[in-house]
Amino acid sequence: MDLIYSIFVDPFLQMAGAPDLLVQTLWEGFVGGILYALIALGFVLIFKASGVFNFAQGIMVVFAALTLVGLYEKGVPAFLALALTIGVMFLIAAAVERVVLRPLVNQPDIILFMATFGLTYLLIGLGEAIFGGNPKVMIAEQLYLPKGAVDIKMLGGVVTLQKIDIAAAVIALAMIACLSVFFQYTRIGRALRAVADSHKAALSVGISLNQIWVIVWFLAGVVALITGIMWGARSDVSFALQVVALKALPVLVLGGFTSIPGAVVGGLIIGIGEKIGEFYWGPLVGGATESWLAYCIALVFLMFRPQGLFGERIIERI
Amino acid sequence: MSALAEMLQGEVARAAAETLLTVENVSLTFGGVRALSDISFDIRKGEIRAIIGPNGAGKTSMLNCINGFYHPRSGRITFKGKTRQRMRPYEAASQGIARTFQNVALFKGMTTLDNILTGRTLKMNRNFFWQLLRHGPAMREEIEHRIYCEDIIDFLEIEHIRKTPVGKLPYGLQKRVELGRALAMQPDLLLLDEPMAGMNLEEKEDMCRFILDVNRHFRTTIALIEHDMGVVMDISDRVVVLEYGHKIADGTPDEVKADQRVIDAYLGVSH
Repeated sequence: MDLIYSIFVDPFLQMAGAPDLLVQTLWEGFVGGILYALIALGFVLIFKASGVFNFAQGIMVVFAALTLVGLYEKGVPAFLALALTIGVMFLIAAAVERVVLRPLVNQPDIILFMATFGLTYLLIGLGEAIFGGNPKVMIAEQLYLPKGAVDIKMLGGVVTLQKIDIAAAVIALAMIACLSVFFQYTRIGRALRAVADSHKAALSVGISLNQIWVIVWFLAGVVALITGIMWGARSDVSFALQVVALKALPVLVLGGFTSIPGAVVGGLIIGIGEKIGEFYWGPLVGGATESWLAYCIALVFLMFRPQGLFGERIIERI
Repeated sequence: MSALAEMLQGEVARAAAETLLTVENVSLTFGGVRALSDISFDIRKGEIRAIIGPNGAGKTSMLNCINGFYHPRSGRITFKGKTRQRMRPYEAASQGIARTFQNVALFKGMTTLDNILTGRTLKMNRNFFWQLLRHGPAMREEIEHRIYCEDIIDFLEIEHIRKTPVGKLPYGLQKRVELGRALAMQPDLLLLDEPMAGMNLEEKEDMCRFILDVNRHFRTTIALIEHDMGVVMDISDRVVVLEYGHKIADGTPDEVKADQRVIDAYLGVSH
């Protein structure tokens, strides 16, 4: 009886009793969710255009952030370093297309997937060799990202919003909006969707696969850089950040591997679900639910919608 | 008067004789298998050229060579006066070769209209930043292309499925959408790989009508592979017959029909 009470009644009483705490929790979940969405977006871009689950997306986040900070430490001005890092991400995209994707064209997806494993370890090794294995501090201030917090008095308490979180949410949402418009309305966006559906048909209407692959990997690289800056500003820039990228998995399962809005909604569900679960139900099982709750939420969704919330319906005529 | 008529006739004959594509001694092998041996033929501007032959004769391989999916081991292909060595499919597309596939290759998740719009990819020039803004010249350009595609949709009588994801359509309509996408490229040479395979009589008649209309109204040169002999003999101007990767006949439908080797190889020898 006590157990049922503590699962189904008590948490809601707590929520009603301290609404300001609830808002605080929701906000933190929201920001976490947006950042998850940003990581998931990197996966979605590449999956949409090449049908490959890019295991290296996580390390690309770390590598981009490390390059940025590393360049700054070498004395390059912050914004020049930012531009140079974008250039580096382009070089990586071009190299991946030339060395990994082109020789493996028309191979089964699993082979390309394994190739991204190789890429992951290559980037880890390269990153450690060039920048060393120690955690670094993100140059948030030099990039004019705001610091400090805003306190808002509401609902009989105080809700604290970190300014960096607000900035992260705004930048991420702007980025997602741009990408959606890009996919939906531009020639290249349409070509990207076409490539995702059928390689040979895309070739026959005059779309160059090589060019498209460079573009998506570059876009994924830029998304990785922004993700790296935002996550880095909230914690450190270190190889541990790579593990955060795995959180994108439940987000993708929820949202569908091919949908940009799906990544956003999936990210928010995971982010908010995680924080609320940790805060109100976590104590029941001794806390530390954050590391696994996301996967459980994803599993439950998977049972009812195998293609994800927004995934393309799998249409197969027999 | 008679001089004028003669001149006109000469003009017509010259126009008819102008070759668009020449295939010379093309051979293609996969490992030890010879898919095509020493094939030569030409396609004249404005004609409907059929490639026929029993299963496995190398018809689709031939199309794949023309459109750059396969690279012949030897031989030359000349299109619009330009001889090429190795060409990628998107280069073939930009030179004006469009095609459809034996087993429909459409962008299943996209609508009919979007599928046809992808055919305009090479015709869109505006910088994509303009396209992102959906403003000014990019908007005008988008509208032009949209109108062109809507005309094709009208022409193929598929208005009612403009906004339907093509994956949901029945096979016959999918084939029609695929033709629409190829037409949107405003091709000089249209390659059709079994445009009527798996269709019922009514759908076949529709498709025949579209092919003939495309040929007449858009003056598009067409090369097609088809198994339905009735259709082939009705609509094509000249026919190439392949068997086991060799060319065994080439000529007008009547010549081909009368050719003993074709009758033996293709239509079967009576025992």
